[in-house]
Amino acid sequence: MLHIKFSKQNKSVCEECGNHLSMDSMERIKPSIDPNTWIPLDEDTNSKDVLSFCDEESYENRLIRSQEKTGLPEAVQTGIGYSNGTLIAPGVMDFQFMGGSMGSAVGEKITRLIEYATQKLLPLVLVCASGGARMQEGTVSLMQMAKISSALHYYQVQKKLLYISILTYPTTGGVTASFGMLGDIIIAESKAYIAFASKRVIEETLGQKVPDGFQLAEALFENGLLDLIVPRILIKGVLSEISDLYSSVPYRKN
Amino acid sequence: MAAVILPQHSSLYSVKTSLAPPARTASSSKIGVETGDFTILHSSKNGVTNDVQLRSILRNAQVKRCRMYSKVTAMLKRGGRKTPDKEYPWPQKMRPQDLIGSPLPFLSRFKPLPQKSKPVHLPFELPLVDIQKKIHEVRELADSTGMDFSMQLNELQEKYEEVRRDLYTHLSPIQRLSVARHPSRPTCLDHILTITDKWLELHGDRAGFDDPAIISGIGKIDGMSFMFIGHQKGRNTKENIYRNFAMPTPNGYRKALRMMQHAAHHGFPILTFVDTPGAYAGIQAEERGQGEAIARNLREMFGLRVPIITTVIGEGGSGGALAIGCCDKMLMLENSVYYVASPEACAAILWKKAAAAPKATEAMRITAHELMKMDIVDDVIPEPLGGAHSDPFTTSMNMKKVIMKHMHELLKVDPEPLLERRFAKFRKIGAHQEAVNLDPRMKRKMKPRDAPPEMGEPKLLTSSVRENLEFNLKAASTANPSE
Repeated sequence: MLHIKFSKQNKSVCEECGNHLSMDSMERIKPSIDPNTWIPLDEDTNSKDVLSFCDEESYENRLIRSQEKTGLPEAVQTGIGYSNGTLIAPGVMDFQFMGGSMGSAVGEKITRLIEYATQKLLPLVLVCASGGARMQEGTVSLMQMAKISSALHYYQVQKKLLYISILTYPTTGGVTASFGMLGDIIIAESKAYIAFASKRVIEETLGQKVPDGFQLAEALFENGLLDLIVPRILIKGVLSEISDLYSSVPYRKN
Repeated sequence: MAAVILPQHSSLYSVKTSLAPPARTASSSKIGVETGDFTILHSSKNGVTNDVQLRSILRNAQVKRCRMYSKVTAMLKRGGRKTPDKEYPWPQKMRPQDLIGSPLPFLSRFKPLPQKSKPVHLPFELPLVDIQKKIHEVRELADSTGMDFSMQLNELQEKYEEVRRDLYTHLSPIQRLSVARHPSRPTCLDHILTITDKWLELHGDRAGFDDPAIISGIGKIDGMSFMFIGHQKGRNTKENIYRNFAMPTPNGYRKALRMMQHAAHHGFPILTFVDTPGAYAGIQAEERGQGEAIARNLREMFGLRVPIITTVIGEGGSGGALAIGCCDKMLMLENSVYYVASPEACAAILWKKAAAAPKATEAMRITAHELMKMDIVDDVIPEPLGGAHSDPFTTSMNMKKVIMKHMHELLKVDPEPLLERRFAKFRKIGAHQEAVNLDPRMKRKMKPRDAPPEMGEPKLLTSSVRENLEFNLKAASTANPSE
């Protein structure tokens, strides 16, 4: 049993077992960005109901309900700010808003953040927490994967800038298959659930149970898919050390 | 005592017998003699010799150990030769006079099926099946009684045509989905072999695997060479199991990437064919990095300096399809579908019951015409009446015409503007809006600005990036073939 206040003091990490609980975006941004340096981008961008989708409840109503409940217009917060003296461009996804699902607004905000970072030559940090693509937007949300990857191509391959992706609990589906796994350095939090196909889908396909701990960060680390597993308390420091290591390249500044 | 010498290119019957009484070995297919002669045999068994016939005798041979250890007997077993373990696509016996024309067809494992498969009728085609039965009955009656039923037959035939035309011009999304998943729908290789003059299939990801779910190779259409990459479904159950139902593993995506980079390196335009229910969801696939393989493909495709045209020929399943589908032009066959999650999965998650799959299909707008309205698809290729499975040749020819039309446009564009056009094509897809007066309650959990005004106003720059983008879009579209 954890008292909420003490848990938040400890960055939502259980003291006894070290289990990192999920954290919402505001709680992630506040400690990581130096005070009085945060400029949010695209605060008013949100999704339209492009397909007039209606399952048990219309998509529009679902959006409004989520916005009122969580106090966020969309599932990602983007902006720029100083972190230990370096100006970085972080984007933080939030699992609380419709399961962190990636729709058009999320795709647009992240793409604009990448374009801004390309223009200003800032290092990019994306914290991923998502259940996948937003089904209510259909194929449009699928294309967001391609849109973000194209912006990342320009940013990483042509401009040769640094992109660090931080995978948290849970990161699944379309996000793992696009920008989550494209970081120059991929950092995961301890025991984060990182997968492409969820456990249920795999069990249905194969008709057998999957082993425990199979898609956790530690297992991915063993299989060579991650660079680092970093506990929450060290993330800010690690990011600034990485920026420092990358600051002296290219060694011949032509 | 004659020693047995089996030189490399001996004929079938060069085996000599020994005089000493032989001892039998335990298994008839093993050779159990340890002599210098045996080593010749042994190495022949391992396939060093080119003589296939010799190899197969030895496999079936019962080699008898003789006391003197200098002789070996090989005897043909009763019952004949077993087929070799791995069948090659070329015939075992080839003579020079068989080599008429190009040797390439001998290398392709994709041969016509030995048995024509039974026609499968979809649920909505039942009225047609009934009329067909009636026609058959009337014909039998006419044959047995000798009376003239030609008027009735003509009437029934006309009715059949009318019903068929009605059905197939007004297909609902659910019906189109079932046509897209039809077991006899022509596969990627069926189309490729029809539209190309020459075809050479290439294999392997050079990293340990050759995924059968993804096909890659080089072919010539109208004298121009292209790189072809596509998902391959099976034409019957056995093939489907071999091809894993066109669900690629990470190895398949890495193979596709290697081929695409090879094409960009040499300058082949790329044609990709999408027909997959999705990427394979299995334990090994996850361990090998399914997400990473797809992500890398997505990113790298935006850097290939050659025209890419993607055609969806069946189902386009989410990320598994998009990994070879980041293109300059997206084409879809009339009855194909492209979805972010299969209607069954969507129904299970959003409606909480699998029976809602038809509702999900309608709501998600997955058919070709609907996607063209949303500006995701550039062109829809018409299928003959009855679906692609009723007339594969016409479908392939239609496809070839449309692909070549778009390819000729793209070939006129230089590499750099081509890349910018590809960015712009995907950059504009998105249904978002800037809320003018968003209720502050809806933003209460967003961290507000606390930077001093000296840090500047980034919004201006972001919009200038977008202005640049619009300029690029205009430039790219006007750089087009007005020359």
